[in-house]
Amino acid sequence: MSKRPITTVRTVVEAIDEGGDGIKVFTLVDPDHWELPPFKPGAHIDLHLPNGLVRTYSLCNDPIEATHYTHYVVAVKREAEGRGGSIALCDTTGVGDTIGVSLPRGGLALDPPAGRYVFVAGGIGVTPFLSVASYLRRTGHGDFRLHIVARNRLPLEHLLAPLIDEGRIVVHRTAKDGRPDIASLLPATQTRTLIGCCGPETMLADFERASKAWPAESVHIERFVPPPLPLDPNAKPYTLVLARSGRELPVLPGQTMLSALEQSGIELASSCCGGICGACKVRWLEGKPVHRDRVLSPYERERNLMACVAGSDSERLVLDL
Amino acid sequence: MLDKPNAVPANTATTASWSGVIRFLHITPRAFLPMRAMSELTLVPGKGITGDRYMIGSEEGFYSHKPEEGRQVTLFELETLIALKRDANIELGPHEHRRNVTTEGVPLNHLVGKRFWLGETLLEATRLSIPCRHIEEITGKAIFDPLINRSGLNCKIIEGGVVKVGDVVRNAA
Repeated sequence: MSKRPITTVRTVVEAIDEGGDGIKVFTLVDPDHWELPPFKPGAHIDLHLPNGLVRTYSLCNDPIEATHYTHYVVAVKREAEGRGGSIALCDTTGVGDTIGVSLPRGGLALDPPAGRYVFVAGGIGVTPFLSVASYLRRTGHGDFRLHIVARNRLPLEHLLAPLIDEGRIVVHRTAKDGRPDIASLLPATQTRTLIGCCGPETMLADFERASKAWPAESVHIERFVPPPLPLDPNAKPYTLVLARSGRELPVLPGQTMLSALEQSGIELASSCCGGICGACKVRWLEGKPVHRDRVLSPYERERNLMACVAGSDSERLVLDL
Repeated sequence: MLDKPNAVPANTATTASWSGVIRFLHITPRAFLPMRAMSELTLVPGKGITGDRYMIGSEEGFYSHKPEEGRQVTLFELETLIALKRDANIELGPHEHRRNVTTEGVPLNHLVGKRFWLGETLLEATRLSIPCRHIEEITGKAIFDPLINRSGLNCKIIEGGVVKVGDVVRNAA
């Protein structure tokens, strides 16, 4: 039995394939080939690497495969000048290794379908559109075009081959023709059309400028986003002071008091994490707690708080811990 | 004294009269993974469900770092799924509430502390289940609040056996 909470989906590397141009394609499965949590076309996951790094990658496969064939596929380009995540994956990760992954996040809302899709990808940024393309082909929404901007070689050419054969891909090679004008790649008419982009930040900025006049719901810019914060985004940081030990712990904006305590190794009973079960009740001594629970009476709140949902209106909050 | 809950002794004939049925069975081997529909489950007394994440001795559930003897099998009312749709327009499938057994016609909230038959197995209800934020993370649906006070039942397995979809659920009193 685990003493610490399980925070990731445990997967095993089932296959590693060459994707060309320094890219490796990893197929991840459940150890027992159980179904994996579902995802939307173009979604991404965090990989929790054995060396402690956490890196985010788009899922390349058709979402239906997550439930029918129980696997996630991610393509990783080895970045020699990167911060070490892609090197750890490409150089030291092997078939059979275990990798914890997050629940999938993000992706495109393709239901109800638009009439036409135009996507722009920069290099390895093509990955989310592989998943989207598989979905659109399978569901019969064939009117889509994918512009790929690449220095010279096309990334993941073997995965793109069916789309190239069908004439859905337009390749822009910057080594030969320079960088294309992103605005010129977008269709003139906006009616029933969804446009999307994934690539380096400069390309995303160009795309944002070029699509400024488009309705927001018709534009998808793929940025890896962190999981949504459960609390008010305007929440301020504060310091927890533990009266018995004298320790001081910072609580970041949007972080729960409970997670700040747990991350510092303080064991506190908890269960619902929504302020109703009463498991994580803590006595407070000084400061101005913000109570968001639904179990404590006004009288109880004078001396207690529920750490899973409570915040602080004061810069310092002293707990009887 | 008529307004006191214990003023009128319960009529045992009335309290024993309910009878329900198993509509769905689900398990999953690990935290976060989708629940898989099964036609039957094997309940091991004092341990849990074969293949499920909360089987005592091989726990891999989201709450497994908090051992609980009374969490060997969990139940949920089909009527709650219907009410969520009716009252809050929330479509929640029997594979999404993450309890093992979906029952129909069983007053789960009335059974805390009592024993009842689930097919050929005998269960003892230990406490009401409570909703948790974890389920919203997994389903992507805002169901925490609507599930308060109707999030199912946690039970110990007193007598084990194989339970099947369609089996009768009845009071053991």
